[in-house]
Amino acid sequence: MRRDFKKDKKAGNRKKFFVRRRKACKFCVEKIEYVDWKDVKTLQGFIPERGKILPRRISGVCSLHQRKLQTAIKRARAIALLPYATD
Amino acid sequence: MRLYDIVVVLSPEVAPDQATALVDGFKKILADDGAQMKIEEIWGRRRLAYPIAKRREGVYYYWQFEAKAETVAELERKLRLSDDVLRHLAVRADEELKRSVKLKKKREAKAAAKPKKTPAEPASEPAEPAEG
Repeated sequence: MRRDFKKDKKAGNRKKFFVRRRKACKFCVEKIEYVDWKDVKTLQGFIPERGKILPRRISGVCSLHQRKLQTAIKRARAIALLPYATD
Repeated sequence: MRLYDIVVVLSPEVAPDQATALVDGFKKILADDGAQMKIEEIWGRRRLAYPIAKRREGVYYYWQFEAKAETVAELERKLRLSDDVLRHLAVRADEELKRSVKLKKKREAKAAAKPKKTPAEPASEPAEPAEG
């Protein structure tokens, strides 16, 4: 009986695991060095509904490009191309 | 001389001919100080992401030019004085441009170096003497 219980637990554990696909940095893949603050279409992809900057743990953007993206978004916000906040 | 990107947001209430006169005035500041216009774009009327001075729309102008720092400072001063300019943003573009060119070169060099590293051909084994 004990054995069975153990087995079941193991099987249950296995179910919990699923293969997580490795996220790739969009800018590295497309070989974009310069994140353009005038390119609203690209930047908009990193702005969720609230208008915040999407964290790179979600988007998978590498740290170098996230920093560039951050300044680009902030510049775009200054001239009302992107919102500071929305609700 | 440095390369600059600038975006000017004009109020939508300004009449078109008045707007062009205003913009020409700004461009004259640049031209008089020996700045060289590289790119000139009119993005036109766009919806603002948030209201500025109770206005929901703005007329966007974008220029890229080479100018001295003092010239840009003077232009920005004039832009701030004008009531018809809702927003403006002037950013140096040469540093980023230089960096991106450098990075590109680096990557190309890396890509060029890679195919050279093909595995060495396996040494051909001496044929075994046929027995018999």
